[in-house]
Amino acid sequence: MEAVEKDGVVQAAEQAVRKMQLSTDSEGEGDAAKRHHVNIVFIGHVDAGKSTLCGHLLYLTGNVDDRTMEKYEREAKSKGRDTWKYAWAMDLTEQERSKGKTTEYGVATFHTRHKHVTIIDAPGHKSYVPSMISGAGQADVGILVISARKGEFEAGFERGGQTREHAMLAKTAGVRQLIVAVNKMDEPTVQWSEERYREICGKLAPFLKQVGFRANDIVWVPVSGYTGANLRERIDAAQCPWYRGESLLELLDGLQLPPRPVDAPLRMTVVDKYKEMGVCMLGRIESGTLRNGDRLLLMPPRTPITVTGVWNDAEEVSAAGPGDSVKLTVKGVEEDDIHAGFVLCAESAPVEPTTEFDAQVMLLEHRSILTAGYRCVAHIQAASEEVVFERLLAEMDKRTGQIAKRYPKFVRPGSTFIARLSVSQPVCVMPFKAFAPLGRFMLRDEGTTIGAGVVLKVRHSASKVSSEGSG
Amino acid sequence: MTSISAVAAAAVGSGNGNNANLDENNDEDRAVRLFRIKKLLKGLEAARGNGTSMISLLIPPGDQIAKVGKLLADEAGTASNIKSRVNRLSVLSAITSTQQRLKLYNRVPRNGLAIYCGNIVTEKGEKQVTIDFEPHKPINTSLYYCDSRFHVEPLLGLLEDDERFGFIIMDGNGALYAVLAGNTREILHRFSVELPKKHGRGGQSALRFARLRMEKRHNYLRRVAEEAVRLFIPNGDKVNVSGIVLGGSADFKNELAQSDLFDQRLQAKVISVVDVSYGGEVGLNQAIELAADSLSNVKYVREKRLLQEFYEQIALDTGKYCYGMEDTLKALEMGAMEKLIVWENLPHERLLLMHTQNGEESVQVLPPEKLNQQSHLVDKKTGAELEVKDSEPMVDWLAQNYKNFGAHLDLITDKTAEGNQFVKGFGGIGGILRYQVDLSLLERDEEDDEAAEEEEEEDGGGADAEDEDWGL
Repeated sequence: MEAVEKDGVVQAAEQAVRKMQLSTDSEGEGDAAKRHHVNIVFIGHVDAGKSTLCGHLLYLTGNVDDRTMEKYEREAKSKGRDTWKYAWAMDLTEQERSKGKTTEYGVATFHTRHKHVTIIDAPGHKSYVPSMISGAGQADVGILVISARKGEFEAGFERGGQTREHAMLAKTAGVRQLIVAVNKMDEPTVQWSEERYREICGKLAPFLKQVGFRANDIVWVPVSGYTGANLRERIDAAQCPWYRGESLLELLDGLQLPPRPVDAPLRMTVVDKYKEMGVCMLGRIESGTLRNGDRLLLMPPRTPITVTGVWNDAEEVSAAGPGDSVKLTVKGVEEDDIHAGFVLCAESAPVEPTTEFDAQVMLLEHRSILTAGYRCVAHIQAASEEVVFERLLAEMDKRTGQIAKRYPKFVRPGSTFIARLSVSQPVCVMPFKAFAPLGRFMLRDEGTTIGAGVVLKVRHSASKVSSEGSG
Repeated sequence: MTSISAVAAAAVGSGNGNNANLDENNDEDRAVRLFRIKKLLKGLEAARGNGTSMISLLIPPGDQIAKVGKLLADEAGTASNIKSRVNRLSVLSAITSTQQRLKLYNRVPRNGLAIYCGNIVTEKGEKQVTIDFEPHKPINTSLYYCDSRFHVEPLLGLLEDDERFGFIIMDGNGALYAVLAGNTREILHRFSVELPKKHGRGGQSALRFARLRMEKRHNYLRRVAEEAVRLFIPNGDKVNVSGIVLGGSADFKNELAQSDLFDQRLQAKVISVVDVSYGGEVGLNQAIELAADSLSNVKYVREKRLLQEFYEQIALDTGKYCYGMEDTLKALEMGAMEKLIVWENLPHERLLLMHTQNGEESVQVLPPEKLNQQSHLVDKKTGAELEVKDSEPMVDWLAQNYKNFGAHLDLITDKTAEGNQFVKGFGGIGGILRYQVDLSLLERDEEDDEAAEEEEEEDGGGADAEDEDWGL
């Protein structure tokens, strides 16, 4: 009992300190617009501590108040799951809380000194990978959470573990920078051991390179999501003499973001929609600028709509730019006619939807061989559609990247090939070279990711072939 | 109308099959026999005659031949009063043929007897058809019809597999109901729902939102349960499937399985609850795959297994496989074929050709698009014309002759994912070999082959020239 009380006191003190810091932070509130918006997705194997890390970050940045946190703590304790209290800030539903597994990605925001951060907490469990993919599709930066606990890292990194799959999917979904957060460093089996940290980094680095992350796109940081060590404050030298780098929040604050195509024609992918005093759409602007009052086209159904309100998180804004996750209220379309994966385009330059396209596909894992006629699910941005391999056009030589064989009868796992794919309903895709966000897709079948691909050419009808390919 | 030859060939086939293989009850022969009967019935169903002179006669097991004979005699008496001369004669002749056929039996076979008799109108004129066979399963219908078509519905009903499995696939976007029977997969119903996602801002507890969410989920669950009753207990008395598989992502399926809303009768039939990551048809495919252990006797699953084995051979490059018409026929002739896999709707025709000058006979197997080209009717060496002596669908020929090559025959559909791949990617014919054979080393008609391949590429490619600029 005493201990609890003492904890309470300490927490109150901490809270006070934090509030002070917050107020200093909020001095810069006036120039909130100057803060760069960054979307971050938390990925990693199930139970690596993604939700806990997210929840703790929210707590440390003052987005979850003490009273709520205490409530979570009490509730978690009554279920005998003390360590889940931070995760409950992200896992809102009863179902997620009772099992301690996120089933749907959750979104939250906080501010750092220079950044406006949207965090997306992806589910780690194998069955919920589709949700993870749509979450990752909205992010620029990924935080790969690794459990350092003995056995857990190994389980996540094995074949079939989600560490591998998620890293691969994130790369394909367009995540360019990766922060590897080696979590659970406070565990009794780890105890901030440098040896363990190095071992994990040593094993992961070659794999991440293979996936396509360059060494200078990756930052490594040891943390503890539960104790909060190295999240906001740098870790105490006494506890961890070997890591003297920046803490996680400092890292986030200092992220260098790639330039964004502000002046390009508007493209916004729709992630979700709902009805709340009119029709609302959630999505991410991939290119261009969106202003309140704009008249836009919703593709593929080609519905003209008018934007009646733009919200960037809770604040209403007059315009939003690329990289922003926004909520729109719109006129001219019914909620039922909107689906995830639709694209909002500038009227002058809409994306032409198609049902057939040629793509270069990398087949990673597959039970046996792949032939024409094969069906699986393709994730194209937020859309997931069943695709059929209509025809295998060419198999590539892996070393030279040149066409090795034309019209192969079948391809084996591990090969790269060009195929003609078709979907039953029109989808918005564009050649990868012309517009990358709509040019890449992932292929999944029976619960595993079997490959990834990029669109080479969009075929608008059997006779007419788009000339966008040359762009 | 190809049915005429199909009917005749299949009729002979099924007749032989019945008499010769009665005691061979292994699965494979059964499957092939079923396939033949199915073809035969399809042919009969499509056949049309002049007037009302087509007789369908079904006799259930245990009935007396004499009784049926009397019925026919009575009918003949009635028919002799028909005013129209043409009609009267054709009806009478049909009845007489039926009576003669009936005389071949001294008692009704174990599974009953079916006799179809009448004049079929085809492109080439009328043709008299008389077919008698024993159904593969006891038939519980007594039927006599004299109509302008054959009545095969009761027999078609027998073909449907009695092992039906129901599937309920549910996820956050909607639910799908399907039935798996034999080698068909039928989607009965699907609907979609909009469940609020947790797009709420993390950290802020929104009790109202949570309540709404709960309510919507509950309503969804109720609707899924009610639809399940409507579909799987159609008349409110009996469950029409022998097992139910529940599949879905997240917890919905478990909630459903335990919910009071889910009918007790259906609950008792749940054989498996599987975790799939998608809803809809993709989820259904995955659920079938995952529940395969519980469904191992269903043809659909067996077909998948067989083709997976075939693909495995190719993936491992064991050399113990072949595909394509030519390679497959070679492997057959060598006796190397262990399992012959053929698409049941394989469009190829097998032609028996005769040289008009020296009377030599030769065989060609052609895809339908080449049948009309006439080029096969000319002998390459002498330039002489070839005469088509006989033509029958390749599938029928294989179904009759596979045993001569020591192979097992498996007829597959294109309804499974694997089957569809097999048909599209490998031309619908192939097989697993007993031992490694390098078919490419065997002598073959090089020119012929090359030409064929190129042609194929041209037909399909359409825009080959444009295909070059992928901008790699």
